[in-house]
Amino acid sequence: MAARRLKTWSALGQLGRLPGEYEIVTHALNYTTRPGRPSALASNPTTPANMWLLTYRDSSPLQAGDWLGFRDPDRLTYRAYVTMQDQQETVVAGVLDEYGPARHDASLPSWWLEVLAALFTPTRFPVHALQMTSAYLGYLAPSSYITNCAVFGTGDLLRRVSLVAYRTRQLAEATDSAIGRTERARWQQDEAWQPARQALEKLLTAYDWGECFTAMNLVLRPTLDQILLHELAEAARDSGDELTWLLLSNLAADAARGIRWSTALARYAIEQRPENRDVLRRWADRWAPRAEAAAAGLGQLLSGVRPAGAAERAANSARHEVLDRAGLA
Amino acid sequence: MARLPREEWYDIARDVDWDLSYVDYDEVFPEWMSGTGKVPREAWAEWDEPYKVTYPEYVATQREKETGAYSVKAVLRKSRVFDQLDEGWKSVAKQHFGAVALVEDLAAYAELRMARFGLAPAWRNMAVFGALDETRHAQISLYFPHELLGRDPQYDWAHKAYHTSQWTVAAARATFDGMMMNPNVVDVAVQLPFTFETGFTNVQFVALAADALESGDINFANMISSIQTDEARHSQQGGPTLKILVEHDPRRAQWVIDKTFWVSARLFSVLTGPAMDYYTPLAMRKQSFKEFMLEWVAGQFADQLQDYGLKKPWYWDEFLAGLDTWHHGLHLGVWYWRPTVWWNPQGGVSPAERDWLREKYPDWEDRFGPIWDVIIGNINAGQAGLTLPATLPWLCSLCQLPVGTAGSPGNQRYPVRSYPLSYDGRTYHFCSRPCRQIWWEDRDTLHSPTVVDRVLAGEVQPPTVEGLLTWMGLTPEVRGTDAYGYRWARAYPPGDPGPAGDAGPAGDAGPAVTEPSNGGRPVPVNALFAGDFVTQLVTLQDTDTVDQAASRIAAQVVGRRVRSREAGLVVRLGGRVLPGELTVAAAGIGPLDSVDVSWDAGRVGER
Ligand SMILES: [Fe+2]
Ligand SMILES: [Fe+2]
Repeated sequence: MAARRLKTWSALGQLGRLPGEYEIVTHALNYTTRPGRPSALASNPTTPANMWLLTYRDSSPLQAGDWLGFRDPDRLTYRAYVTMQDQQETVVAGVLDEYGPARHDASLPSWWLEVLAALFTPTRFPVHALQMTSAYLGYLAPSSYITNCAVFGTGDLLRRVSLVAYRTRQLAEATDSAIGRTERARWQQDEAWQPARQALEKLLTAYDWGECFTAMNLVLRPTLDQILLHELAEAARDSGDELTWLLLSNLAADAARGIRWSTALARYAIEQRPENRDVLRRWADRWAPRAEAAAAGLGQLLSGVRPAGAAERAANSARHEVLDRAGLA
Repeated sequence: MARLPREEWYDIARDVDWDLSYVDYDEVFPEWMSGTGKVPREAWAEWDEPYKVTYPEYVATQREKETGAYSVKAVLRKSRVFDQLDEGWKSVAKQHFGAVALVEDLAAYAELRMARFGLAPAWRNMAVFGALDETRHAQISLYFPHELLGRDPQYDWAHKAYHTSQWTVAAARATFDGMMMNPNVVDVAVQLPFTFETGFTNVQFVALAADALESGDINFANMISSIQTDEARHSQQGGPTLKILVEHDPRRAQWVIDKTFWVSARLFSVLTGPAMDYYTPLAMRKQSFKEFMLEWVAGQFADQLQDYGLKKPWYWDEFLAGLDTWHHGLHLGVWYWRPTVWWNPQGGVSPAERDWLREKYPDWEDRFGPIWDVIIGNINAGQAGLTLPATLPWLCSLCQLPVGTAGSPGNQRYPVRSYPLSYDGRTYHFCSRPCRQIWWEDRDTLHSPTVVDRVLAGEVQPPTVEGLLTWMGLTPEVRGTDAYGYRWARAYPPGDPGPAGDAGPAGDAGPAVTEPSNGGRPVPVNALFAGDFVTQLVTLQDTDTVDQAASRIAAQVVGRRVRSREAGLVVRLGGRVLPGELTVAAAGIGPLDSVDVSWDAGRVGER
C-alpha cells in the first residue's frame, strides 16, 4: 500500500491550502510548547527554568486556544530579513556618503548639537534595554510565529544601537559638542530622561510574556519612538540636519514593522478569546502612566525646537492610535 | 567619504551598561537566570569577544550566504541528483534533519536567554547574532527537506520528531534541555557554544559535509557547510565566558564542561557514529568516526581545555575507550529496533564493510561479530522476523540510551552491564559510572523519565511493541526498515554464518514489553543475557520459578542475538546464584532489579 503523498508537514496538513515558505519554516518550531508535554523542559518539573516557563508563559493571563494560528503580517523569514536589512544598510551607507558627515556635522549649529547630545546619542542605553526585553519576549513567546517576530525585532534594535554608536563617534569627532562624553550621565541623571529610564528599568522586570509584550510593544515603544524617531526627525529636518532626519526615518520603518505585527497579535489574541481584551487593557492601563511620564520628560528636551507640548501630545496620540489598531481603544 | 572603520565605533555600541536606579539589580539579573555565582559582578565587564562583527557586516554576509545556499538548491531542484542517492546515505540526511532542525530553534532560545540575562553588554549583543543564526539554521534545515516530502514520508520527521516521545528524541531532548534551557546563562555559554558547538558540532557538520559531497548529496553538503560558517562565529561566546568563570570558580567550570562533554559524546555516538561508519556507503567514507573524533573532538578539545587551565575530564580514558565500542553497540541497537526510528538504518555489515570495520576497529570482530553472525544467519535462513524487537532495551536514566552500549560484549574493562543506584526508594539504572555520577550530582535538574520509565508508569497502552510505536508517533509508513532490504547480508555465502539454533518459545514477537499474561504479580526487571549487547526490560511474574524466569529472558535473546547452546541457564541477582526451583518472589527478585542470566555448562539438557 502506497502511503498518501505528503504535500507539507503533517503538522500543517489541516491548513486546507498549500503553505508558503514562511509557514514551512516557521510553524510549530518550539517543542517546549508541544501539547501533552509533561513539563516544558525534559527535566525535573520544579527546576527554576521549568517554573519560570510555567509561571510566566504557560500560566500567563493572556491565553489562546491556538497560538500557532497567528501570522506575521510581513511573513518574514530569515532570508527575507537579512536581504531587506542589507538593502536598508546600503541605503544608510549611501546617505552617510552623500552627506559626507565630517562637513555636514561641522556645519551644525551648537544649539542643535545640544539637542542631539540630549536626545539622540544617549538613546543607545534605552534602545539596549529594549533590545534585552525584545530578546526576552522571543524566549518566552508561546509560539515560534511570535518568537520569530521578536527575534527580528531584536536584530532591528541592535541595528539601531549600532547606528547611534556610529553617529556618536562621527559627531564627537567633527564637532566641539558634548557628544561622545556625556551620554551615560544624561541617561542616568538628566531629569528629563528619568521617567523613561524608570519605565524601561521596570519593563526589564515585567516577566509575564503577555505583560512584557503589551508594555513594550503596545505602550512604551509607540510612545517613546514617536519622540525618539519621529519628533526628533521632524525637528532635525526643520533645523537643517537632513542627515539625522534621513537616518531616523530609515530606522522608523523597523519600528513600523514592529507595530504591524504587535497590533496584529493583539487582535489575534482577542479573536481567540474575547476575555483577552480585558487582560491586555489592564496591562495597557498599568503602563500608560509610565509612558505618559516618559513622554512628558522627553518632550522637554525638544522644547526649543518644537512647539510647546507638541512632542508629548504626539507621543501620547501615537500610543492611542496603536492601542486602537490593537483593538483596545 | 569612507565609512568609519569598525574599531572606531564598535566599543560604543557595546558600552551600554548603566547603574540601575528604579529596580534591584537582582530583579533584572536573577541568579537563576544570570548565574554569576562566585564571580564578582564587576568581573563580567572584561568580557570580550575575539571575533567582532557589526550589524551591517552581519546582514551583508548572511544575505550572501543565504543567496548562495538557496540558489544551489534551486539549481539542483530540477536535477535527478536525489533519485541517484544511496538509501544508506539518505538515512544519514533523514536522521540529521529530524535530530537537528528543531534543536536549532531551541538554540535560538538559548541565545535569546543570553541576549537578555548575560552579564556583559558585549555578550548580550553577540547573542543577538547567535539568535538570528539559530533562526536561520532552523529555517534552512526545514526548507531543504520539505521539498522531499512528496518522495518519502520519513522526511516529515524533520519537523515532527521533537513533537513526539520517540526514544532517541527523548534522549536528545534531555541532553539539549539540560544544555540550553535549564541552566543559567553562564553555564549555557560554557555548555552550548564552548563544549557543544566548539567541541562537537564540528564533527557533525564537517564530517557529514565531507561524506555528503562524496555521496553526491551536494544540496546537503552545501546546506551544512553554510551553517557551519555561522557556528564558527557564534561559538566564540563560550571562550570569554569560560575565561572569566575559570578565574573565579574553576571547579564549577570544570564540572559544567565535564558533564556536558560526556552526555554530548553519548548522544553523538547514537547519531553521528552510525551515520559515518555504517550508513555512509563504504566507498564514500572519508574517515572513521573514531578517527574523526580523535582528531576533531578529543585532540582539539583537550588542547583547548589546557589553554584555559582546565584538566581533561575525569573519565577521559573511558571516553577514549568508548570510541571503539559505543557507536557500534548503538548502531546495533538502532538497527535491531529499527521500527522505532524514522530513518532506514543501513545494516552495514556486508563482508566488505566488515573488513573495513575490522581494519578501523581491531576488536570489532570479537565484540560485535558473533551477534551480527546470528542476525545474518537468521536473515539468510528466511527468519528476518527474529531480527525484530519484542522488548525494549533498558534506558539509562541520564543519557537515555540503552544500558550496555557504554560497554561491549567480551570487554573486561567496560562490560555490558547496568550501573544501578538506589535512591528514594527506587532503583535507577545507568549505562556507565559517569552517567550515574552526573545524575547523582545534578539529579534535581537533570532527572527526566525515560521511555522505559513511562512504559513502567503505564503511560503506554497497550504496552506492546505496537502500542509503543504508536505512542512514539511512528505511523506505519515511516517506521524504519533495513535500508538495503538485507542486500548486505545476502552477500555472505549460503550457510555461513550458520543458523543460530532454536530461537526458543517466545521467538515470535509476543508482547514481552507487557505484563505477564496470567497468574501472579508482574515484576519488571532489567535483564541481561550473557553475550548480549544491551540489557532489556523483561516482565517476570512473582509466581514464576527462577528457571521459568531464565527462559523468559533467554527467549528474547537466544537465537536472536546469541547463538543457542546445549546448556542450562543460571540466574544471578547481585552476583549471587539463585536456585532454579524457587519462585521469583521467594528468590528475592523485586521490581527494577538487575537480573543476569548466563549459560550453565553443568546443567546440560535440563533446559
Ligand atoms: Fe546552529
Ligand atoms: Fe548513560
